[in-house]
Amino acid sequence: MANYFNTLPLREQLNQLGVCDFMDNAEFLDGVEALKGKKIVIVGCGAQGLNQGLNLRDSGLDVSYALRKEAIEAKRDSWKNATENNFKVGTYEELIPNADVVVNLTPDKQHTSVVNAVMPLMKKGATLLYSHGFNIVEEGMQIRKDLTVIMVAPKCPGSEVRAEYVRGFGVPTLIAVHPENDPEGKGLAQAKAYCVGTGGHRAGVLKSSFVAEVKSDLMGEQTILCGLLQTGSILSFDKMVEKGIDAGYASKLVQYGVEVITEALKHGGVSGMMDRLSNAAKLKAFEVSEELKDIMRPLFQKHQDDIMSGEFSRTMMEDWANGDKNLLAWRAETGETAFEKTPAGDVKIGEQEYFDNYLLMVAFVRAGVELAFETMVEAGIKPESAYYESLHETPLIANTIARKKLFEMNRVISDTAEYGCYLFDQACKPLLGDFMKKVDVDLVGKNFNEGKDGSVDNAELVRVNEILRNHPVEIVGTKLRKAMTAMKAIKTA
Amino acid sequence: MINQSDKHSLSSGEGWGKATSLSSGEGRNEVLHLSNLSFKHGKIDVFSNLNWIVKKGENWALGGVSGSGKTALAKAIIGDLDVAGSVETNFDLTSSLRPETLYVESWYQFKNVEGVANFYYQQRYTSQQAKETLTVNAELAHFGKEKSLNLSDTKSLINALGFAELSNSQLIELSSGEHKKLQLVKALWLQPQLLIIDQPYTGLDAASRKNLNRLLDNAAEKGTTLILISNDEELPSCVNRYAAIANGKLKILDSAPSSDFAEADLQRELPKFLKQAPVYQSEQIAKMVNVNISYGNKKVLKNINWEVKAGEKWLLQGHNGSGKSTLLSLINGDHPQSYANELYLFGKKRGSGESIWDIKQHIGLISPEFHWYFDSNATVWESVASGLYDSVGLFARLPYSKAKQVDETVEYFGLTDCKNERLANLPLGKQRLVLLARTVIKNPELLILDEPCQGLDKAQTEYFNHLVSELSQHGMTIIYVGHFEAQLPKCLSKKLVLSHGEVIKNENIIKEDKAKDSTVTVQF
Repeated sequence: MANYFNTLPLREQLNQLGVCDFMDNAEFLDGVEALKGKKIVIVGCGAQGLNQGLNLRDSGLDVSYALRKEAIEAKRDSWKNATENNFKVGTYEELIPNADVVVNLTPDKQHTSVVNAVMPLMKKGATLLYSHGFNIVEEGMQIRKDLTVIMVAPKCPGSEVRAEYVRGFGVPTLIAVHPENDPEGKGLAQAKAYCVGTGGHRAGVLKSSFVAEVKSDLMGEQTILCGLLQTGSILSFDKMVEKGIDAGYASKLVQYGVEVITEALKHGGVSGMMDRLSNAAKLKAFEVSEELKDIMRPLFQKHQDDIMSGEFSRTMMEDWANGDKNLLAWRAETGETAFEKTPAGDVKIGEQEYFDNYLLMVAFVRAGVELAFETMVEAGIKPESAYYESLHETPLIANTIARKKLFEMNRVISDTAEYGCYLFDQACKPLLGDFMKKVDVDLVGKNFNEGKDGSVDNAELVRVNEILRNHPVEIVGTKLRKAMTAMKAIKTA
Repeated sequence: MINQSDKHSLSSGEGWGKATSLSSGEGRNEVLHLSNLSFKHGKIDVFSNLNWIVKKGENWALGGVSGSGKTALAKAIIGDLDVAGSVETNFDLTSSLRPETLYVESWYQFKNVEGVANFYYQQRYTSQQAKETLTVNAELAHFGKEKSLNLSDTKSLINALGFAELSNSQLIELSSGEHKKLQLVKALWLQPQLLIIDQPYTGLDAASRKNLNRLLDNAAEKGTTLILISNDEELPSCVNRYAAIANGKLKILDSAPSSDFAEADLQRELPKFLKQAPVYQSEQIAKMVNVNISYGNKKVLKNINWEVKAGEKWLLQGHNGSGKSTLLSLINGDHPQSYANELYLFGKKRGSGESIWDIKQHIGLISPEFHWYFDSNATVWESVASGLYDSVGLFARLPYSKAKQVDETVEYFGLTDCKNERLANLPLGKQRLVLLARTVIKNPELLILDEPCQGLDKAQTEYFNHLVSELSQHGMTIIYVGHFEAQLPKCLSKKLVLSHGEVIKNENIIKEDKAKDSTVTVQF
């Protein structure tokens, strides 16, 4: 199978990268009509599979689960999840032939084998639905020409997809139709109906393409979302210990700090996050993050280039073929870091203290979000897509770190994201070596404002505020956040 | 000697606290001495220069209207609240009882194994293999280890509160009454010298209440000093002192706090839209044919047959854990296992292509669990308005006529003054009133009221029950869950009783003494 994106002429590459349309509520007035009475068969019943299925059935749709024979016979968790909630469960052979829509919600790595098993059983004119485009775009999976291929990707973990639905809301969702497989022109209508069935239409829906989704998703997860949060966390912890800050305090500040800081990001964007600092601290964070952006820009660009050329997926798939040798080694290494091994101390850290004593992370987050966004947009991805894959997801990932540190983050994210995260982390740490030598506890571990009089130059503050507020990620973010203001805070700290 | 209580942080957010002090000559007989306690909430004085002495051998019942500051006072005693004045506790270090104060919160916010409390109302009905919360056993073992207690000592407590069957249940699966029992087991197991229990009886069935009183008498006999925050009249016999908070001061009473300290301001007229009969789509509200619900091997409902017709007023009763909430969740479209049962709602078979939102639009619902998981960041007005869309929190902008309807309802419930406050800033009783207002905002065909008056004071309870009766006159269908006959609205005429998941009674309520009792005591 050849990389699909690389088979396209440049014009078509740019064309597909540029698909991006924030959909109006009026587009969803038909509700679930396009799927009403159709047989929806979900392959896989993990967190996404079960929770999406519960939502679809509660929206009046006909849902059942196809599992591998071994999973049924061994009564695995996926089988229990489905049967105990009274869903119909059967083997591929039993359920796929009658399915109008087959929903593939298995992990990335299994896509090729699952689709190869399912495709010959699918009836003529049925629809195959993905929630991630890697298989189609990077692996170049060819789907039978009579089948419709669509994507519906809720931008939240499965448990949130359910929690928000039963509250009467939903999570932001990305939808796409694969241009090579839309023989009857029904793809978009079905994708929209599926989105209504899971509640996504109430929280903002972005019409994208398989190509744009993959190329932006990979970029976001490798750089700002997982890679930079990992690098920043480890460097911050090590610096504090080196400077004599209590290790328990340092561990707690790092574990929960990213969550508290990015919660402000979620509500008010980069400028909202920066506004949580005093004026003097904000100017410092600005200066530090400008420096970080200059240092890290070439690395962000390299990641984007490798993703675009297919080099990243090629090397990762080599590692798959090699029994995940690199992935497993890197995973073990992360488990051995001092941060991971030091439990959070039994100290109380106030909400504002997380900002005042962890200015370095605020600078890391601003630099990472803006760099990831800028690099994606330069590569032809539209600002709305770039926003979802950078700023929007950062608080969600930060939440996993608060739960159980980096180990938990790497467990929750996909293997693909995890692999890219380690690649980034290993290149980024040496790059920041000289920078970190200059960092002292006023940036991480102690209150930056302590012992300072807090005065700033008016003109300088106005200049910095203007730069922060006029960044394109803030302009597009303000528009998109309006559609999801009601999302509930997920808080651990 | 004055020693500000030192908050001892156990598992955070659990509401267990400890206050310590040295014993001094004068106050040896005093267990607790509060002097000149003052506390403001916003600009309002919750208490000002409040004084209270609790002596050895005394056990107090503390009452007061909703919002009078009872919970705030308890939190001040354990040092969980920043107050002016002094809090002094005095413990007997020679006693075998723990020299500490334990406060059992009215509501207990549990967390999942990852330390997150982000649950949703319907979650307890869904089977998921990835276990999110601890089991009751594990929770008790964890507490015992932390406090160096012997796990076998819990057995008699667990049995007395009828809690044994739940030892392997996950915390998420427990009802509010069962959570209360878990907290009571922990408190009685610990045997602190000063034990403060906020609303000890909420959610408990009649049998458990009696047993709890016996357990509290035992504890008092062994030397524990009790402070029970409650307006209930069936207190344990060891309670010998009474007080209420009124206007920021502690008022010592001669007998159990009763309704006479609360006067209801009840001259409001029902909004016009609520005087209209609801529009019924079908004569049949709900019909269950041999309904069974089970989790693994555990059967929660067994062969339930029940029919509710338009305009009927049902009382639903049963012991804690008898299956009442599960039964109601079937009607409200919240239970995943509805799809495998023969169930008809509003004239349609369940699972025939309807969505849960199609079902919910006919229903106004309140339950302790619903309140528990409700978004406390929403404002009062938004919370009431969200009932129009059956959502938790408001996501839509209301058209003028609907907004007016919300204004009228908010006014009727006496909530206009706090309509822009977040729920989290209000006392529990007031939050409950907000959610009660939310249930009627649609003028729905069916009202499901699962222990609606839990946590309300007497005046509020009477006020609400009177409203229910008035709405029922206009033809609304009602299913009401309540443990205590004295607190029920008078309109209920049919009764379904569950025991261990089975229907044991399905009958008309005989109204012998209703005739005598028909004069409504509260005038509107």
